[in-house]
Amino acid sequence: MPGVVLKALAKRYGDVGAVDGLSLEVKPGELLALLGPSGCGKTTTLRLVAGFLAPEAGEIWVGDRCLSSPASVVPPERRRMAMIFQSYALWPHMTVAQNVAYGLRFKPGLSRGDREARVREMLRVVQLAGYEGRYPGELSGGQQQRVAVARALVVEPEILLLDEPLSNLDANLREEMRFEIRRLHETFGNTTLYVTHDQGEAMVISDRIAVLKAGKVAQTGTADDLYHRPRTRFVAEFIGRTNVVDGVAVARDTVAHANVRIRVAIADLAPGSRVALSIATVTAVH
Amino acid sequence: MDRSIPVWVGAALALIVLMALPLGWLAWLSVSGEHGTTLTHYRDVFTDPALRRALWNTVVLAFWVGLVSVAIGAPLAWLTARTDVPRPGLIRGLVLASFVTPPFLGAFAWVMLAGPNAGVLNTFWRSATGAREPLLNIFTMPGLIFIVSIYTFPYVYIMVANTLALIASDLEEAAAILGAGRLAVARTVTLPMVLPALASGFILAVLQALALFGSPAILALPAGFHTVTTQIWSLFQFPPKVEQAAAFSIPLLLATALLLQVQKRLLGRRGYAAVGGKGGQRRTIPLGRWRWPALGACLAVMSCAIFLPYGVLAKAAFSRAWAQPLTRDNLTLGNFTFTFFDYGSTRAAIVNTLELGVMTACIGAAMVAVLSYVTNRKLVIGHQVVAFLALAPVVVPGVVLAVGLFIAYTRPPFVLYGTLWILFLAYLTKEMPVGYAQADATFRAIPADLEDAGRILGAGRLRILREITGPLAKSGIIAAWCFIFIGVIRELSASILLFTPNTKVMSVVIFDLKEEGQFGAISVLGLVMLGLTFATVALVQAALGRDVLGARR
Repeated sequence: MPGVVLKALAKRYGDVGAVDGLSLEVKPGELLALLGPSGCGKTTTLRLVAGFLAPEAGEIWVGDRCLSSPASVVPPERRRMAMIFQSYALWPHMTVAQNVAYGLRFKPGLSRGDREARVREMLRVVQLAGYEGRYPGELSGGQQQRVAVARALVVEPEILLLDEPLSNLDANLREEMRFEIRRLHETFGNTTLYVTHDQGEAMVISDRIAVLKAGKVAQTGTADDLYHRPRTRFVAEFIGRTNVVDGVAVARDTVAHANVRIRVAIADLAPGSRVALSIATVTAVH
Repeated sequence: MDRSIPVWVGAALALIVLMALPLGWLAWLSVSGEHGTTLTHYRDVFTDPALRRALWNTVVLAFWVGLVSVAIGAPLAWLTARTDVPRPGLIRGLVLASFVTPPFLGAFAWVMLAGPNAGVLNTFWRSATGAREPLLNIFTMPGLIFIVSIYTFPYVYIMVANTLALIASDLEEAAAILGAGRLAVARTVTLPMVLPALASGFILAVLQALALFGSPAILALPAGFHTVTTQIWSLFQFPPKVEQAAAFSIPLLLATALLLQVQKRLLGRRGYAAVGGKGGQRRTIPLGRWRWPALGACLAVMSCAIFLPYGVLAKAAFSRAWAQPLTRDNLTLGNFTFTFFDYGSTRAAIVNTLELGVMTACIGAAMVAVLSYVTNRKLVIGHQVVAFLALAPVVVPGVVLAVGLFIAYTRPPFVLYGTLWILFLAYLTKEMPVGYAQADATFRAIPADLEDAGRILGAGRLRILREITGPLAKSGIIAAWCFIFIGVIRELSASILLFTPNTKVMSVVIFDLKEEGQFGAISVLGLVMLGLTFATVALVQAALGRDVLGARR
């Protein structure tokens, strides 16, 4: 199971740099969430990785294969990836079984029987056994979501891409599917890139999170890292319910704001410098 | 972007053959004299009192047709979209029938219904009242306006009904809860929101009336007056005055382009967030004791457009003398044998029509499918231009297109006059916008995600087209095929200038038969044409109805 490396990727739409010198590493078997507000370039990044877009600068590597560079782009169908779309993108003219079996047709050495067995097994895993003959239009939103998951996982992709897969579900179902996706990830262990704008979702589901801002990575780390040690005001405000106080360092471990002095745990501030102090709600309770 | 080159070259060539060459020649010939460029033709055209009268008649006709179409179409649309009028499905079906009825057939039928001497309605009136004067005379300007309007109002109906169906009742209720009475709600909310659709329907109706040839030729010429289209046609009669016809075509072309521009602005301005918004329900307005009278009024209108004309055509097709009562002695199949076996050009014309219909529909559907796919998926640079070009022929009235094609293809390097090819080009150009709009809507409804999902799982571009896009687009493209086919088999205004004795089509033969007074044969051919049209409409409904429902349920 290879990892993914993005090196200084850039892609512009007109004058707008959707992705602007973005570098990132997804470790083998890791689930990394790309988190950011709308317009930060996360979906563009995902579509670059999938090969639907060609980068204007930078490279995308999977293991020892260079898949994208300005000079050449391996087409999506030869990337050994799978993707789960925000809209699910189930084919309305195919049954559930046909939808799920589609990707297996391009795997050499699988007999018809093998394919059917794998489809059945995968539908069992996503708890849709018995739905083989239904059409997508006959399923509920949650069931459609499971079909989309099954269709992507059944091909045993090297890399799994998810584009806001839960944003069309209602709140209860969304909660349930977070754990479902995490469970499936732990079962199959695909290297996974998960795009979302919901920080709660990113924290529950992922091993690590990359926070994106204006086409660049603002900070990468575990949920804990980002929550407790945000490196910029943007990350602090985006990740947690937090109060950010502007102030001046008056000592190595003390910040002054008006006539309030606050002691901080990190004790290497340069006295006299302007600092922003993030007070997370959890910290404040302790 | 190397893969865009063939598409570009293809589109450019198609554009040149279909549009630039004919319109270029048209413009050139309208200003060319024996010694270089000249404006004499324009001066001739606009100082000749007869031609000026024709111009004025067209203005009067188009304006009134627009008004009458709004007066009929808007209430009908409101009744079916917003009230509990009984049988709304039947009314919609009848409006559709009126929409696809070739207007010149309707005009023929109304000659038999309301001709001043033998018209069925007038005979009935005389025998019922003992009056000597006819009740109705269809060979008048009001008669012409009436006939054109009953087949043009569906344009207004469609615009208004679709808009009304999209305005959520919330918007009206929001006004009501703030204290607006029923009338105030209608005046301040509903009407302003429908107004652009109403105005744009009016303009579409005006455009139809401007470009129409058949009905004026049948009703205005016997009444002794011309419109622009019949005038252009008569300039083409021997000895042809092609330059004057060209000069006379230009104003019609400009008027059409201008009106379409106005319509586009009307619809384009003010982003109606409410229109098309999700959620909001549409509640029907109870008509109470007016329900059945309302249905009666709708059926009265539709009897003018459908029941009476179809009835008189059927009667005439099966009787020896169409003006006489349908008794045993009068009943005959002779019109059918005459039409199909005795009359020289009918069978050839039917074959020509079907050949042209199928050929234009197949090539046209293939073209619009490729063009709209390319523009929807943004596969080439400048795809907006491709879309614009595909829709551009909409500004060219049939007669004007025919004048241009005639000039362009009666001279080297392309001598096509006298062959079916020139008709094919005319039809392809004329029907391109309709087909493109349909194909465009089809691909718009297929999200690119569905294709991407297949790509990422390992399917190549062509396989995706075959297995995913193709099956999903099939019904929409079949519908485009049908729209083009229906347009071709009823086409008269371009055919009438481009046919030669060997290349007659059904509509032209109907026109010839009228000169000979063969009403029985006209009715037979008319019924054949209606049969073909309705069979095709049924095919569209089957194609769209089943698949669309299956896909979106």
